[in-house]
Amino acid sequence: MLSFLRRNQVILSAFLSVLISLYIIAPAARGQHRADPIGPLLMAVMRPLQVGIQGAVLGVKRLYFDYVALRGLTSENEKLKARIEALESERNRLLEEETTNQRLRELMDFRSEWAPGSLTASVIASSGSAWFHTLILDKGRADGVDKGMAVVSPGGVVGQIVSVTARTAKVLLVTDSHSGVDAMVQRSRARGIVTGSLESGPILKYVKRSDDLQEGDRLVTSGLDGVFPKGMLVGTVAKVNKKNFGLFQYVEINLAVDPHRIEEVLVIKGKGPKEKD
Amino acid sequence: MKLSLLFLATGFVLVLLQTTLPLILPLGHFVPDLVLVLCVYLGLNHPTVGAVVGTFMLGYSVDVFSSQVLGLNCFALSLVFLTAYVSSRCIWIHSALLSTSVVFLAAWVKGASLLFIWSFLSTMDGETLGTLKYALFDAILAATLAPAMFALLKRGQNYLEQVRMPE
Repeated sequence: MLSFLRRNQVILSAFLSVLISLYIIAPAARGQHRADPIGPLLMAVMRPLQVGIQGAVLGVKRLYFDYVALRGLTSENEKLKARIEALESERNRLLEEETTNQRLRELMDFRSEWAPGSLTASVIASSGSAWFHTLILDKGRADGVDKGMAVVSPGGVVGQIVSVTARTAKVLLVTDSHSGVDAMVQRSRARGIVTGSLESGPILKYVKRSDDLQEGDRLVTSGLDGVFPKGMLVGTVAKVNKKNFGLFQYVEINLAVDPHRIEEVLVIKGKGPKEKD
Repeated sequence: MKLSLLFLATGFVLVLLQTTLPLILPLGHFVPDLVLVLCVYLGLNHPTVGAVVGTFMLGYSVDVFSSQVLGLNCFALSLVFLTAYVSSRCIWIHSALLSTSVVFLAAWVKGASLLFIWSFLSTMDGETLGTLKYALFDAILAATLAPAMFALLKRGQNYLEQVRMPE
């Protein structure tokens, strides 16, 4: 018996590992989530590294701009050349900073329209897998972020917080096939659920065949899911297909925000825009 | 022990790379699955109980960063390890081409196991074609990277084995 175990220890431990995995997954089948004692620790260890890499990438980008500026200048006058180089380098740096400032200003303007408790966060990591569409933010429970909060950008809906540690938060993007945002067509008020799809990108599900939908229609949040405030832009209708059978229409959409290019987001703590006087 | 630690450290570096690469490079939806390649390497070239535990831990850490359901990648990567290990016991896999083929196959195993769990949890419907598309791209990317990664890992393994057993 002992020799059998010793001879097959790798295959047996691999099977055990598969069984333990299934045991961990099991509560999800009942809509529950098992407590995760290791995840927050791992996130805490990885966070400084991810923030460091993000900072290093920004530094390299800045260096690249400076390098391009330096290489592009060939003035005969050494004094002027040096001056131009310095100005060009400064200009590139300022342009980069202006872009960042503009982005942040837009975010701030957008933020002022929402509940005062909302906070801005930077993206420090992504899912690292084609199968899952998630982002990791640099703000966590210590900053007031909590599970279930809506994540948006000035362009529109981004996703929802699905787990939080002390200093980080995981966002399930609207492009993930397991996400769901209750949305409606702004023109006809037809409702459906926006979700990701592995086949064709984001789609609007459960839209009745009788509902009026046209390509180019704007989709906004309905506010009925209790996560996103009503009236936030989600995207536009890209393709409508009423098949010959079935209860619902097949609707492909273009999202207002490309979550893969996003750098800063707003986490909404409250509900809906501030009442305007 | 040293080897297992080396692979575990490599694994965490790969997880770090995998989660930050999409922010640096315009990869779109398709991110190279470096962790998958490492798990296949462990199954083929370092099949120990330590490697099984390492694979499980790597799956867990990928789950922490990406999946909404904890255990999903643990399950998929454990099956990937098992596939690679069983393959190495059935056929003599010591050429780059065969190793690449096993990585290609392993990516399909991962895709199938994710689809299996998702259909069990009823979180996806009618996504078979999309899953096939993702699995194919995943498999091609991983298989393309496999020879280079295998060579690097082999070099590291050889170095540590020489340090451990000097002639």
